[in-house]
Amino acid sequence: MSKAKDALLDPLFNNNPIALQILGICSALAVTNKMSTALTMSIAVILVTSCSNAAVSAIRNHIPNSIRIIVQMTIIATLVIIVDQMLKAYAYEMSKQLSVYVGLIITNCIVMGRAEAYAMKNPVYESWLDGIGNGLGYSLILLIVAFLRELFGSGSFFGLTILNPVNNDGWYVTNGLMLLAPSAFFLIGFIIWALRTWKPELQE
Amino acid sequence: MSNDSILKTFLVTFLLCLVCSVLVCLAALVRIDREAYNQLLETRATVLAAGGYEEQLNSGASEDELFSNFEMKMVNINTGEFTTEINVEEFNPRDIQNNPDMLVAIPAASDVADLKQRPKFARVFIDNTNGQVVLPVNGPGMWGPIYAYIGVQSDGTTVSGLKFYQHSETPGLGAEIEKPKFRNQFIGKKLYNDSGSLAINVVKSGRYDAGADNAIHTIDGLAGSTITGDKVQNLVRYWFSDHGYGKFLANYTKSKE
Repeated sequence: MSKAKDALLDPLFNNNPIALQILGICSALAVTNKMSTALTMSIAVILVTSCSNAAVSAIRNHIPNSIRIIVQMTIIATLVIIVDQMLKAYAYEMSKQLSVYVGLIITNCIVMGRAEAYAMKNPVYESWLDGIGNGLGYSLILLIVAFLRELFGSGSFFGLTILNPVNNDGWYVTNGLMLLAPSAFFLIGFIIWALRTWKPELQE
Repeated sequence: MSNDSILKTFLVTFLLCLVCSVLVCLAALVRIDREAYNQLLETRATVLAAGGYEEQLNSGASEDELFSNFEMKMVNINTGEFTTEINVEEFNPRDIQNNPDMLVAIPAASDVADLKQRPKFARVFIDNTNGQVVLPVNGPGMWGPIYAYIGVQSDGTTVSGLKFYQHSETPGLGAEIEKPKFRNQFIGKKLYNDSGSLAINVVKSGRYDAGADNAIHTIDGLAGSTITGDKVQNLVRYWFSDHGYGKFLANYTKSKE
């Protein structure tokens, strides 16, 4: 039980894929200028990491060692394509905003890293939880960054106006940097700093 | 059988590929099935916004009901006449963009929007309640293509609305063109001046003078997005020139008089 719990909760703070392992930064920069896109991306990544971990784990005793990476890649790519196609079919507007970044989950190191490092050695249930946990760890950072970027960049939260921007005849002068990708670098940097100050054992 | 034997390697690869390709095909089938419907919904919402129905939609009017007043027709842009050469129900703007037989090169002198080519035909939406016509336009933006619909009233010069449905302008700067604050400025503006020449233009932010003679043709640009503003101006100017919808609008207005 405790192993399962660790698999689920460790990636949130103690072994966060973005903040500690510094993986999956590309998409964390690209989709975090709004809460709605970050949330959709988070759900997509949780689905892909959990299912790919479970699938890889289920066939782990039959995967020839020489082709294990390509087998993992095929499973991950299949899942990503399914998620991408479903978004295009049932959330057309959202899929247009996320453009290529859903497809790029294939290259997200978190998914592949968990398949190779965890799912190849552990039973299905734990691997599935580990996938969910890592997806949640990724989502946590994504949503924090998106919250700050949307609030200070557009003055809104999930599209609802919180700080009425000047563009809309309000009073809040929006921070243009927050809408551009580099701001996510700064925010993730601050999050890493805060996390390592809170948990000094994470420092290298 | 050892996991690393050649036979097992091929077997695992084969089975995995088989399962994965079936799953991918199923997903693609679902998506293709919904694609036409999704595009129809998008086109419908864009056309209604460009036709000046945005406020009514925001206050809860039914899209179905408003859209039922619109009639789709094909226009041959070269001749400026309606055409039945292409079945409007089956028309897909995305197909025509990739079909060289359907495209016309734009002479450099007319190509103010730097489009290089445009389709021979366009699907236009005619509003039977007031005779306005909603026309598709496109052109290069700062980072990628911009697609929009523009509604023009039956006098052939007054804009009833503008709505973008695809662009990749800079977030927070150029992307503000999609906000009502910018595009609603087009409502009521006149594309052509009294002598019939194209007069619409987007000026640099803050240069707009509501009292000037040409205010009826002028749009105030966005601060920090001069290039995007120019691109929007150029694409509107191209599409309403004689090489764009100029001939069609002239014919259309005449038929309405």
